[in-house]
Amino acid sequence: MKKFLLVAFLFIGTHEAFAAGGAPCGDYGECDSFKPELNNIESLQLGALTFINHCYGCHSLKYSRWGRIAKDLDIPEEIFSDNLVFGANVKLGDRMTGSMEPAVSETWFGIAPPDLTLVTRLHGSDWVYTYLRTFYEDSSKPYGVNNMVYPGAAMPNVLASMQGQQILSCKDVPLIASNGGVRRDEMGNDITEEKCGYLKTVQGSGTLSVQEFDEVIYNLVNFMTYVGEPSRSDRERMGWYAILFFVVFTALAYLLFREYQKDYH
Amino acid sequence: MTQKSSGFFNWINDRLPIVNTYERHLSKHPVPKKVNFWYMFGALASVVLIIQIVSGIWLMFGYENTEEGAFASIEYIMRDIEYGWVIRYMHTTGASMFFAVVYLHMFRGLLYGSYHKPRELVWVFGMTIYLVMMAEGFLGYVLPYGQMSYWGAQVIISLFGAIPYIGESLEIWVRGDYYISGATISRFFALHVVALPLILIALVFMHLVALHEVGAGNPEGVDIEKHLDEDGVPLDSVPFFPYKVLNALVAIGIFGIVFSIIMFFFPEGGGYMLELANFEEANPLSTPEHIAPVWYYSPYYAMLRAVPDKLGGLVVMGAAIAILFVVPWLDRSKAASIRYKGILSKIAMTIFIISWLMLAWLGTVPVTALRTTLSIIGTIIYFAFFLLMPIYTSIEKTKPVPERL
Repeated sequence: MKKFLLVAFLFIGTHEAFAAGGAPCGDYGECDSFKPELNNIESLQLGALTFINHCYGCHSLKYSRWGRIAKDLDIPEEIFSDNLVFGANVKLGDRMTGSMEPAVSETWFGIAPPDLTLVTRLHGSDWVYTYLRTFYEDSSKPYGVNNMVYPGAAMPNVLASMQGQQILSCKDVPLIASNGGVRRDEMGNDITEEKCGYLKTVQGSGTLSVQEFDEVIYNLVNFMTYVGEPSRSDRERMGWYAILFFVVFTALAYLLFREYQKDYH
Repeated sequence: MTQKSSGFFNWINDRLPIVNTYERHLSKHPVPKKVNFWYMFGALASVVLIIQIVSGIWLMFGYENTEEGAFASIEYIMRDIEYGWVIRYMHTTGASMFFAVVYLHMFRGLLYGSYHKPRELVWVFGMTIYLVMMAEGFLGYVLPYGQMSYWGAQVIISLFGAIPYIGESLEIWVRGDYYISGATISRFFALHVVALPLILIALVFMHLVALHEVGAGNPEGVDIEKHLDEDGVPLDSVPFFPYKVLNALVAIGIFGIVFSIIMFFFPEGGGYMLELANFEEANPLSTPEHIAPVWYYSPYYAMLRAVPDKLGGLVVMGAAIAILFVVPWLDRSKAASIRYKGILSKIAMTIFIISWLMLAWLGTVPVTALRTTLSIIGTIIYFAFFLLMPIYTSIEKTKPVPERL
């Protein structure tokens, strides 16, 4: 019986490993992990700046209000209004409905650029962080770029001037033997084979280094994570108080319970 | 109450049975003195019911029941209403916790034979509550009008269409339109916030009245009514107040800790409580890759998918719920509690738990050939557990049930 169960579990287990199928980040495989820092105000401010300068032209944040962002990110209203708010007649209480008419953008791009308020909640911050860093040159596409996470994305690589040219390249990778080690020839040299589909940035083609660019995207996605759920840092802070309250409540209730239980034990 | 009570109180009490009711259902209501943690989930379910009603009323302050406004109004509650997010997460976490405690409460019933004579009606009322809860949960899930609200509703409402002859008209009647639209949202809203909660509260009331008539069970399956003191109170009982209230308070405290951890730190429940696809507004033109129900329906959804025919699936799913109603008459065992039942009942219960959990998992993942086979096996085990119950509970040898608790 035990043997049968073991075999059954092994069978189901190996089957499940294959059934998992499509990787979360498309051709890229597993997404790069993203840990938000929602209390890092500087990062959020820089992210907001990037978003409004480079993304807001096409993408709205229609469930969010201008003033809420100024308040949450500690940006004085005057500085915020003068430098970040798009449009002359916009008031701080207004929603960030975007600066493009959806009908116009649909004729330009074939599809209206989606609202991004909840994109980090829908796909996860990991996904967005990976997506924004995996555009590569592909002359067969209308904008000359394609994306590894979302192949065929109808979006140009807006930040290409910072990132520079990113191309798909090939490189030699060591062959792995069946025992898990690297295979070697008789001379003791590693045996390698050429594999393609690796992202590579052409050096000097962008204004930022790879690390600097990753940091810009980090701040941007950090801001987008905040916009997805502006109350999240409050929520996690308040949670500790709620738990503390119930721990004290339980302790007192237990002491009272124990005292009364003596009556009938 | 003592003679010191004021004239005003007596005036009221002569016209409204306050003291009587208080004594009968609280201060003097006898409950078995020895029960374990399994007996706390009923009290917790009533706590969650109150949480759901209160948070639901507050949500209604900001919710808009229209096709254009529903999704945006949820974000309005989450962002623009002060502490609106607390109310909303309380309600979404509450929905999952309601099912969690009710499933554990039902399982307690199976484990200790809480449905045994004379508690059959208590069980039947309880099952009716569960059925109404399933409808209530489904209706509520449609209201935010995200992608999964829309497509989940599409799948479930189309099941009505599988019924022969009247199916198609019934489908339109339920939706109030030829497709899911504002008409569907506003009627689901009315049912979710008024009709079903009223029925639910009435049923909970009946569940408790019936329970207080026959008295609560215990994990030993001992009939405490057999040994009474000179006042007719069971010797193995203690008054509900304050003893069992204190018991419940400890349980509520621990439950509060669990509830807070989920609500404040994992409100999405890993996508099983709030599905991530529901963060996108409903779009009739784009079907999500994988339509899955929230976790608490998943065992029954797995059964629905296990049958290739739509009507067949519907019948199997309906039968899976319906069979729970007749459990009191399927169990022929002399012992109520699993502690004194025979080996066959213990084996059956173990296999049943494993297969139910497997079905719960299968209902949340996309189908493959092997998973369909597993769903079929799980479904057969589920029905076998109940249909064979009259046989294995009557042929097995039970241990003698003690006289006293």
